[in-house]
Amino acid sequence: MNQDNTQKRNTTLYYIQRYGIWVTAALLTGLLPLIFRSGFALSMLSQMGIAIIFALSYNMLLGQGGMLSFGHAVFYGLGGFISIHALNIIMDGKLPVPVELLPLVGGLGGFLFGIVFGWISTKRAGTTFALISLGIGELIAASSLMLPGFFGGEEGISGDRMLEVTLTGFEFGKQIEVYYLIGFWMLICVYLMYLLTQTPLGRVANAVRDNPERAPFIGYDTHRVRTIQYTLAAFFAGIAGGLFAINYEIVTAETVGGIESGSVLMMTYIGGVGHFFGPILGAVLVTFMQLSLANYTHAWLLYFGLLFMGMVLWAPNGLAGIIMLHEPVWRAGLMTKLLPAYMKAALPAVMLFLGLMVLIEINYHLSLSIDPDAPMQIFGIQFDAHSPISWGLAFLLIIVGFVFFRRAAGLVNQSWQNVTYEMKRELR
Amino acid sequence: MSKCALKLVDVHKSFGSSKIIDGVNLEVASGERHAIIGPNGAGKSTLFNLISGFYEVSSGHIELNGHTITNLLAHQVNRFGLARSFQVTNIFPKMSVFENIRCALLWPMGYRYSFRHLCGRLKRLNAKVEEILEKIHLADRRHIPAGLLAYAEQRALEIGITIAGDAQVILLDEPTAGMSHSETDRAVDLIRKVTEDKTLVVVEHDMSVVFDLADRISVLVYGEIIATDVPDQIRDNPEVQEAYLGKEVA
Repeated sequence: MNQDNTQKRNTTLYYIQRYGIWVTAALLTGLLPLIFRSGFALSMLSQMGIAIIFALSYNMLLGQGGMLSFGHAVFYGLGGFISIHALNIIMDGKLPVPVELLPLVGGLGGFLFGIVFGWISTKRAGTTFALISLGIGELIAASSLMLPGFFGGEEGISGDRMLEVTLTGFEFGKQIEVYYLIGFWMLICVYLMYLLTQTPLGRVANAVRDNPERAPFIGYDTHRVRTIQYTLAAFFAGIAGGLFAINYEIVTAETVGGIESGSVLMMTYIGGVGHFFGPILGAVLVTFMQLSLANYTHAWLLYFGLLFMGMVLWAPNGLAGIIMLHEPVWRAGLMTKLLPAYMKAALPAVMLFLGLMVLIEINYHLSLSIDPDAPMQIFGIQFDAHSPISWGLAFLLIIVGFVFFRRAAGLVNQSWQNVTYEMKRELR
Repeated sequence: MSKCALKLVDVHKSFGSSKIIDGVNLEVASGERHAIIGPNGAGKSTLFNLISGFYEVSSGHIELNGHTITNLLAHQVNRFGLARSFQVTNIFPKMSVFENIRCALLWPMGYRYSFRHLCGRLKRLNAKVEEILEKIHLADRRHIPAGLLAYAEQRALEIGITIAGDAQVILLDEPTAGMSHSETDRAVDLIRKVTEDKTLVVVEHDMSVVFDLADRISVLVYGEIIATDVPDQIRDNPEVQEAYLGKEVA
């Protein structure tokens, strides 16, 4: 009896471990719009859902397949255009597809283009692949100007998502309905992309990434492996594009362009390419920055660029890498040994950042605002951009912050060494 | 002689104007352990690269178990039942030891490019991985990223990847290079164990290993095979002594 009970508890534990994270994700997706109720928050959450699919599909190339693409938005944009055209055809009553399944049309479009472009570009990885991806991106961006019938020229193609044919009874007049559609597809795509990493194809994609020279000698055609992986990534990017079309009811040529391709690269990288969940963090953070920071400052792209550079230099494994670095420390119950040093580093880091920020904002104010002589505001504090006091304060913050941060960094290093030492001793 | 597992007929290879392999003829019988020896730069590794499809031959003909494999691509040669290891350790460094072996089993066990199966649920596959890990004595290192293994362990893994798919013909390129005496002894035992009932072609510099392991030996000098015979005859062959053994052994 007792054994029976333990076994039952063990199976329950097993299911919690196995599916708990997915149930949590589903609950979170369902509940977030009930917590953040404003229209702005809802648009942001919708965009985040789309970005999560897009970034994870990008990581199928970069993180899992070792392919650094500069043109992944091609499939996002083409998926979007194909979906919006399909939407218009459905509107005319010529195609009986419910709006809920429209993203699949985009996915299929991405899939077909993925086969073609994948075959062309994946003979080799590395620089060759990166350059070809750049070329394909430029090719599609350029043809968007030459084929106004498909890409709609400057104003793009618009559609109307409020169709007669639906599966769910949602009419998609309200943003919340669109959000739930995006959330539904997001969960499905994330789950499928996760499962893909566990399949023979997913594992062999890792092998080809790790050592393309050896892979043929265990029976694999590296070109074929990359092409399939690339095509599946394009499929999911196409689904993200389809959701974009439904969400905004307009698709413009910008969606296939280089900026979009760069954006998904940065999301994925900032989130972390080495762990499956990394790009999710990146997509959420970068979307948040893109949509909210832009409301506060013209210089938001500069901050974004600084963040990206900082990650490349100091945290090449991204946010996920930073988190996973602490996982063994957490397990050993030694986080308390790191936190004091982190706290001591946090204050000077904030000072350093504030100093830099004041300097950047002053410069933006002087060079870009309509009236540089007018007083400017940061966090509600008014001051004169020309005054040497504001400049002096900025530099003071930077210098003091920098000096103390350097010291605190040494302390952080020291704590890490202690913690590593203790963990090793416990292992023995 | 029993059936011919590997047959090279008048194989040539030049890079630009320099001839590296200059008319090699070689027949390795099925089930034989065959060693290729020769001084540095004789073209031993190049010969392996030609057989395994890493390079294309300039001219000549190569057969594997009766199939012509001349100038096939590496993965095609592999699918005909030939596996090889490398002189410089050539594994999948970021993947775990377990994953390294599992990947080497996927194609031979018929999973190809499947994205319908989940690796974790394939019992037969995972049992086979365990079996090989036991054989190469890396079972307790399974979760470690292969790149972090000690050198001798990496060499064992290299052999594990090579033999995992049950290929009938195994090429090992200097499997004991850089190993200590005791490590070498263990490696030779391992090689003997995992290549039982298989055809083995091995390039090796360590003469004690060669004479211990091989049924027959071929001596490659400046891209030509000057002698192929059983170990005792090779030891006594004056031409071989002059070209190779004489300088190194004396």
